[in-house]
Amino acid sequence: MIRNLAVRLGSLFGREQQERELDAELRYHIDMLTEQHVQRGMPRELARREAMRLFGPIETVKDDVRDTWLSRFLEVAAQDVRYGLRSLRRSPGLSLVVILTMALGIGANTAIFSVVNGVLLRPLPYKGGERLVELHQGAGDPTDPANDLGFSVKDIADYRLSRSFSDVVEFHSMLFTLLGRAEPLRVSTGVVSANYFDVLGVQALHGRTFVEADDRPGAPAVLVLTYDSWVRQFDEDPLIVGKVFRLNDRPHTVVGVLPPVPLYNPQGSAAVDVFMPTSACPFRSRQSFVDSRSARMMSVVARVRPEATLLKSAADLDITAARLTKDYPKDYPQRDFRAVGLPLKDEMIDSFKPTLWTLLGTAGFVLLIVCASIANLLLARMARREQELSVRAALGATRARLLRQLLTESLLLAFAGGLIGLGLSALAMRLLVAFAGRFTPRAGEITIDLTVLAFTFGLSVLTGLVFGSIPAFSQRISAAPALRDGRRTSPAGQRLRRVLIVAQIGASFMLLIAAGLTLRSLMQVQNLDPGFRTEQLLTFSADMAFDRFPLTLKAADRRAKQSEYWRALEERLRALPGVATVGAAGTFPLNEAPPFNGRIVREARPLPPGVQPPAISVRIATPGYFTTLGQPLLAGRVFRAADSAAGPEVAIVNRTAARMYWPGENPVGTRIDSGNDTLITIVGVVADVRQQLDRAPGAEVYLPLFQSPLLQSTWILKTDLPARELEQSIRAAAHAHDADLPVSSFRMLEDVRSTTLTPRRVVVALIGMFGLLALVITAAGIAGVVAFSVNQRTQEFGIRMALGAQRGGLLSLVLREGLLLVVTGLGLGAAAAGILTRFVGQVLVTANPQANGPLLVGIPPTDMVTYIGVGATLILVALAACALPARRAATVDPMVALRAQ
Amino acid sequence: MAPKSDLLQGTLDLLILRTLSEGTMHGWGISQRIQQLSRDVLQVNQGSLYPALHRLEQQGLIEAEWGNSENNRQAKFYQLTRDGRKQLAEETKSWERLSTAVARVLAGL
Repeated sequence: MIRNLAVRLGSLFGREQQERELDAELRYHIDMLTEQHVQRGMPRELARREAMRLFGPIETVKDDVRDTWLSRFLEVAAQDVRYGLRSLRRSPGLSLVVILTMALGIGANTAIFSVVNGVLLRPLPYKGGERLVELHQGAGDPTDPANDLGFSVKDIADYRLSRSFSDVVEFHSMLFTLLGRAEPLRVSTGVVSANYFDVLGVQALHGRTFVEADDRPGAPAVLVLTYDSWVRQFDEDPLIVGKVFRLNDRPHTVVGVLPPVPLYNPQGSAAVDVFMPTSACPFRSRQSFVDSRSARMMSVVARVRPEATLLKSAADLDITAARLTKDYPKDYPQRDFRAVGLPLKDEMIDSFKPTLWTLLGTAGFVLLIVCASIANLLLARMARREQELSVRAALGATRARLLRQLLTESLLLAFAGGLIGLGLSALAMRLLVAFAGRFTPRAGEITIDLTVLAFTFGLSVLTGLVFGSIPAFSQRISAAPALRDGRRTSPAGQRLRRVLIVAQIGASFMLLIAAGLTLRSLMQVQNLDPGFRTEQLLTFSADMAFDRFPLTLKAADRRAKQSEYWRALEERLRALPGVATVGAAGTFPLNEAPPFNGRIVREARPLPPGVQPPAISVRIATPGYFTTLGQPLLAGRVFRAADSAAGPEVAIVNRTAARMYWPGENPVGTRIDSGNDTLITIVGVVADVRQQLDRAPGAEVYLPLFQSPLLQSTWILKTDLPARELEQSIRAAAHAHDADLPVSSFRMLEDVRSTTLTPRRVVVALIGMFGLLALVITAAGIAGVVAFSVNQRTQEFGIRMALGAQRGGLLSLVLREGLLLVVTGLGLGAAAAGILTRFVGQVLVTANPQANGPLLVGIPPTDMVTYIGVGATLILVALAACALPARRAATVDPMVALRAQ
Repeated sequence: MAPKSDLLQGTLDLLILRTLSEGTMHGWGISQRIQQLSRDVLQVNQGSLYPALHRLEQQGLIEAEWGNSENNRQAKFYQLTRDGRKQLAEETKSWERLSTAVARVLAGL
């Protein structure tokens, strides 16, 4: 293997010719031997055979000869390394700058690549993870959340029959209240069919996962905890398996704890805390729910059979969907009803992909600039080393030998830089995992593994060769200059340095444009008026247990009791000292909870059959909600106490909904069809608010909480008390109201507002950091080139001074030179940016720092302010970088300068 | 033909250097010359001649150049370098010391 490697390495240095020569040399010997025998009278044929015999096995001889080459090669390599280290030690400052620059470039790339590797490249840590797909059904494009209908129990049974899938898993998530600890605990619960963990191939860390019997109707209720919940909520209790907790009027026994694996929740942002089989879910196990084909709230994951392709499974899904619409037209009224399957892996990482590629691309750009900059530094050093190299050439070192020496030195630098870069990225690992955790459940898989090590190693070799070969090959190494004046550098080298600088400036320009655009966009988003107040608002969640009012009650009675329950809580909260106003809703703005979509139809304006009304976000609120949040009322009135279960049904729409459904009309007083034979009167119009800072408001309809009571509620209190203090009294009030009511997620809305922008801020900070890095490296490069050229022209400046040139003149001469480089770079950069903004802009627009907002909001990719600002900054920085060498040029003492050469 | 004599380790290098001290020569020539000078006692095994030549070349003791042979063919000609000459002098001295010593022991003097 080593020989193989040597042969390959050897071919870099004329190995092929060496082989040809060896052949010829040995052939000559055999020919002469043959000739000798012929002269002694042997027939030629026989003589040749005899010569071959005498010579012996030719391949063995060749191998032995090659061995001498190999041992020599290794010896020389060791020599090169020793010599290289010595030579690098001779210029420690330069070596240090190169290694650090390199470390930053490699470190940035390694860090981002480790994320790409852990999240995008590695297969899912599930058994045959690449064959797992999530199914969607609905009209048009069912993968669009607005169209995704979900699955009913009967739907799932039908898809289980389709031939392409070996396993079909059912999943839905709900919030339940877990009792039996000091405080009631809200647990996000994954309700799954018993085969869930077997299909994923996940085995329990403690205890067991589900078995078929757990999922039978009437089976004893069991729970499996996620690793995260076991650590966070159950303090890693080693005796947890076998403990019994109450959920939904039933005792549940913990049977197992999962290992730390990524778990995807297709139904919301809340990570699952516990899993239960479908038999234990009070909703899912009701007979009426099981029997209804259109009671759809489940998600489905399926395993594609090994013999079926994804394409075939898609065809199979089409067939099933077509059969369903044909057999049950009432349950599938949509005109273009379809079913599709998307790879589970994509679903788990999709929102992160564009952001990640953007970051990797930016890091790659930085590495290019790093390479150009280091090549430039080494070029400058080459000029100084020309003397040394010429002397060595004169002493008989071949050109190949010297090139090899130079490349060895570059590779040494690259390896040192790569090693430190690896260390830097290892330090950043925790931050990266936390950052990625906001986008994907796969964040935990980010580590420095063999692939990352190989990437870093490969990148170091590649960059070492790139920045090393530019100066090495640019030099015409010969013995000649040693005999002449060794200080002159070739004009070709100087030209190359300028080209490299111009390229660097162009690349930095583009990078800084990207940084500038995203930064301006971030500021835009940060200063955005969301349409509501965030100061002095404390929010928390309160979730009523499912069994608080039994499902056996008549629906209307149950609703009335639930409304009364929330109203009583509201009264207790309003009575708390320090609380000015109180409002409650299903969710509050900026909360990342997925929107609940509904559809509204105006009274007496039916849609044509098969046409779906557009989706509208349905929100539930109390009368105090709008005042507490400061969401202005535009027309009509807000909700009031009389809008209760007993009163007529009412609704409020936001401005966008009013414009969309009542163009040019006043919606107040009109009625909408709720879909179940009741008409709802619109009583008011409120202003738009941004539910997500980086998203334009959509159409919304608000229903009164005391008319459509939810089990999950979010409360917003206006207060001037510190949150901690109020939290205690809220807990006390809530538990006095109902000892089994879990209250959680206490947060000030201001903090929510700030953290909702964290991913965006981190992405912008990363791009900005890369841009700054590029700027600093480039500035140093400009200063270096100009200083070098000043140095070269000391004599010329001296003569100019002697001939009466003014200092200011020389100063501007040098500055002009620097400026010329910058302007050329900017010109090229802008030209490239003209093409690239389309691309960069596109990337930035598609990059989702939060799965729901592009990176570029409110700023066009061609934003002139950014272009001019960045261009001006670059010019200023470049002038500053030129100033130092320019001052030196202007203060040249003519006498000294003339004597110097 | 005389039987092949195995050369003492390191001796081949010395013989090559010595042969080349007479002038430029190609591999074939070297093997012939050694055979001739030793009156056919020493027959150079080509299996070790060429690796030795290349080793000496890598060590910088000899250097090679392609040129025309006596029969007007391209052949690789070796010649001593300055280092090679120095090496030859040293090794010859130590060889002589050794062989004299061995001869004394054998003579029982």
